[in-house]
Amino acid sequence: MSQKQSNQIEVGDGAAIPNPEDKGLVSAWYIALFGTLALIILLPWLKPDPYLNILRFVPDGILVTFEVTVLSIALAIVIGLLTGLGRLSPNRFINLIASLYVEVVRGIPLLVQLFYIYFALGRFVQVPDIIAAVIAMAFCYGAYMGEVFRAGIKSIDYGQTEASLSLGFNRRQTMAYVILPQAWRTILPPVGNEFIALLKDTSLVSILAVADILRRGREYAAESFNYFETYTMIALIYLLITLVLSKLISVMEHRLSHYERR
Amino acid sequence: MNAVDPIIRLHQINKSFGTFKALNDVTLEINAGEKIVVLGPSGSGKSTLLRTINRLETIDSGSIIIDGRNLYGPAEDINQIRMELGMVFQSFNLFPHKSVLENLTLAPIKLKKMERERAEELALALLAKVGMRDRASHYPIQLSGGQQQRVAIARALAMEPKIMLFDEPTSALDPEMINEVLEVMTTLAKEGMTMVVVTHEMGFAREVADKVVFMDEGAIVEQASPSDFFTNPQNPRSQFFLKQIL
Repeated sequence: MSQKQSNQIEVGDGAAIPNPEDKGLVSAWYIALFGTLALIILLPWLKPDPYLNILRFVPDGILVTFEVTVLSIALAIVIGLLTGLGRLSPNRFINLIASLYVEVVRGIPLLVQLFYIYFALGRFVQVPDIIAAVIAMAFCYGAYMGEVFRAGIKSIDYGQTEASLSLGFNRRQTMAYVILPQAWRTILPPVGNEFIALLKDTSLVSILAVADILRRGREYAAESFNYFETYTMIALIYLLITLVLSKLISVMEHRLSHYERR
Repeated sequence: MNAVDPIIRLHQINKSFGTFKALNDVTLEINAGEKIVVLGPSGSGKSTLLRTINRLETIDSGSIIIDGRNLYGPAEDINQIRMELGMVFQSFNLFPHKSVLENLTLAPIKLKKMERERAEELALALLAKVGMRDRASHYPIQLSGGQQQRVAIARALAMEPKIMLFDEPTSALDPEMINEVLEVMTTLAKEGMTMVVVTHEMGFAREVADKVVFMDEGAIVEQASPSDFFTNPQNPRSQFFLKQIL
């Protein structure tokens, strides 16, 4: 019924989500967080030019980064759910389409997909850069998310489906009322991982004309020639965001596992 | 509908898993209010037979009529028929993300569009009946196996089915919990519920069954009243089986 957390091996490129049992990772998290905070506060204080200037110039991009991340993940979750269900569908055709999508997307680098969707889309419709970026990110991450959903749904014991069917629920109702609410618990940690990975990968959209954190940093650096200082601050800002997010996700994960515990 | 028509009518059912013949030309008729206990060695097709009745297991050939409706009729809604067939599983299969009360109210609210207050009233009455009313707000993980199975019975009853199917309901339980579940089933039987029970509990079969159906190698080899079956089995395979267990 409930898998032990320790049995799961997750190798994602999201930030490590600290598990309370993993003492090493938990203390590393505190050291990293306070170190990052200290640097973000101390550097502009000790050396306002250029650090304070960078800190004034870049934050516009944080909002854009978040916008792209949140919109992309929301869309990716929808695509992922449909893909995951498609991959589990007994309908051969739907199954094939979903599988094909996953195979194709997984085989093409994200940056290439970004360029492709951005310029291919641009040929037919004029959409704002940020929308093109979101569509491209979601298209890519939807495939990974699809595999996460599929694994989460498959992890639920088939007895649950049988119990639901025997009460008179159809397949769709069974999925909605019985399977997905349970699968969500298994799905949440990897989705959190994907969220953090996606947030970092949104730095790729700085190549398109989207003014995210990295783009703003590049603009500043190009004008001031303070490359080292600028990218130091950029790295620290990303690190701070991902550290806070990973903690938030682990808290959420524990909230959601309440019915496993007495 | 004619009153003497059986409520469950299985006619010449065949079912194979690959080359293994799970059900071999099984014909069985069950009248409303009858309590049937299906016995047999493991692998004899008892559970498969029970699961074909609500189509959790599909059949290769034959016909199944439930309360005048063809389980495989093109126009029939399988979900409608399943609402009349309560099922209790060996592994309980309660919904772990729902409280005990919610386990009981989910289907009536969603499928019968019952109002929440009314569904909860009904659920609490059923929980009282299986002696679990004080655990309504608990989650399944907090209950013992016997308690979970009693809740599972109440959950099936919440849909007010005409027939109850039990698939080895006590096989996953510790010995000291078996009786509390059998008592609930006995009460249900006394109230006149139509029941089909696959079990290894011979005491229950003897006490409650109207008819014992003995299966071996996918076929029904003997049908008899419990007193006849246990004291004077006709078929050599039944005799052998009884000698093994008694």
